[in-house]
Amino acid sequence: MRKKTIIIRALLFGGAALILLFFPYIAQNRYQVHIINMAGIYIILSLGLNLAMGYAGQFNLAMGALWGVGAYTAGLLNTRLGLPFWINLPAAMIVAGLIGAIVGLPSLKVRSHYLAIVTIGLGEVINIILINEEKLTGGALGVSRIKMPNFFGFPINTDERFYYIILVVVILGFLVTRQILKHHIGRSFRAIRDDYQAAKAMGVNTAYYQILAFIISAAYAGAAGALFAHLNTYISPDIFEFKSTLFVMTMTMVGGMGSLAGSVVGGLTLPILQEYLRVIKDWQLVVYGISIMIVVLFVPGGVIELTRRMRNSRKIHWPWSPKPEEEKLEETNVSEN
Amino acid sequence: MFLKIENLKMQFGGLIAVNDVSINVEKGEIHGLIGPNGSGKTTIFNVLSGYYKPSGGKIVFDGKTISNLPAYQITAAGFARTFQNLRLFSSMTVLDNVLVGMGHHAKTGLWKTILNPVAVQREENIFIEKAMNFLNLLEVADFANELATSLPYGSQRRVEIARALATDPQIILLDEPAAGLNEIETEKLREILMKIQNTGVTILLVEHDMKLVMGICDVITVLDYGKKIAEGTGAAISNDPVVIEAYLGQEDL
Repeated sequence: MRKKTIIIRALLFGGAALILLFFPYIAQNRYQVHIINMAGIYIILSLGLNLAMGYAGQFNLAMGALWGVGAYTAGLLNTRLGLPFWINLPAAMIVAGLIGAIVGLPSLKVRSHYLAIVTIGLGEVINIILINEEKLTGGALGVSRIKMPNFFGFPINTDERFYYIILVVVILGFLVTRQILKHHIGRSFRAIRDDYQAAKAMGVNTAYYQILAFIISAAYAGAAGALFAHLNTYISPDIFEFKSTLFVMTMTMVGGMGSLAGSVVGGLTLPILQEYLRVIKDWQLVVYGISIMIVVLFVPGGVIELTRRMRNSRKIHWPWSPKPEEEKLEETNVSEN
Repeated sequence: MFLKIENLKMQFGGLIAVNDVSINVEKGEIHGLIGPNGSGKTTIFNVLSGYYKPSGGKIVFDGKTISNLPAYQITAAGFARTFQNLRLFSSMTVLDNVLVGMGHHAKTGLWKTILNPVAVQREENIFIEKAMNFLNLLEVADFANELATSLPYGSQRRVEIARALATDPQIILLDEPAAGLNEIETEKLREILMKIQNTGVTILLVEHDMKLVMGICDVITVLDYGKKIAEGTGAAISNDPVVIEAYLGQEDL
């Protein structure tokens, strides 16, 4: 790699780090910070969905409902037992992970579209439980007056302060996902997605890894739920309906299925886009639907594939992209389909 | 006895694909399995690798009955296989394909992978070194970082064999490894199979290329309509009237 590209990359990375670190001070108002906080929560959800769907090929379309499981676990532990956020976060991950394992059980019998339908159904079951178990969950009224966290006596009671918790969880979530997918666990996931029978013959314990993919994605949904509950202090079942899964799926597909950077791009873009689209109300759904169709038809790898294509087309030469002779080597690694 | 297939029967509804077949495979030999199309060769492979549970009979490997184990445990017990129609992992590089075969030797579980990246990377480096050895043996190391499915057909076949060897098998089941290869590639395959035999791995070979089969197999079993009709050395088989009839039909009609 050329020295110049290294410097440019370092500058870009440093600039991005500075913006991330001081974002609450750069933002024009509290509402912008809130949107970015929500985007962070969506990035965590999208990372989980991407791991299960994009890498392991396991259609976990109960993601929104599992997000709800995490939020209700944290919310109820806080309002009923007075437990703090720091205990509720791991607790929400564990509870959601366990429910995720159950949601994943059908994956041992059915796959692809059929699995998608079964997990949608199981998600609906979870949602119906949230609405109807009024004694436990407060029914359609939801759970209110969840307390915001406290960091060693320092109250994290504003969006600006909560931003840093979300930032840390998003960064940790990204690094952990990357680490899991980089080595043999990630390869087993991809083997199952590419060719289930061949994976078995290569000694991959397919049942174990399928359930594992569900548990990990559900645990991410649980973490996102705990963050959501303690940030908004109020949760209700309608937030976790199937439309939330669709929203997460849209951002993951637009960003790039099978690419963690895609989850970050999609997770940042869609919640912001949603704010601008508020004026057109329900027509938003049409925009999401059309964007999914465009992605599926023209760029199955999402925005991330688009940037790679642009870089390879040589028409647009970004300052940080490698020189043509290095490019040739990279091109051979890029999938044709 | 190394691998013992005892009275194996495989029935799909009304169709009996494999009927009461017994085969003994000795350690270290290249054992050919031949027969006309539909004679049950691939079905036997699928039973051996755990995709089908046999309708009758059993398979004993190294003194243990393996016919009721799930596929991945059969692989762990020392079975590896290739597929008649190539089944490489299409999104992965050649190296990653081979590394998948080594995954079940990994000592690092989920927690260690997350919490101790250094140990995982160390293990990974050992795997990569071993994988490169297999790629060298199969003479496809030059393609290590290329997308597996972008390779020429013959090379893809060899990557499949490398991937199977990576699971560290005692016996390897090759399903028509010479199918679609030209003569030069087939000759190369023959050399590779001898090399594999020399490393101590037993080979069970299904193949239609008679020149290859006759040339390298120590013992050949002939199947027809799911039944074993003959067994012996290449010379004995090729003069057996029952075998000739199965392949060419009856003599005077």
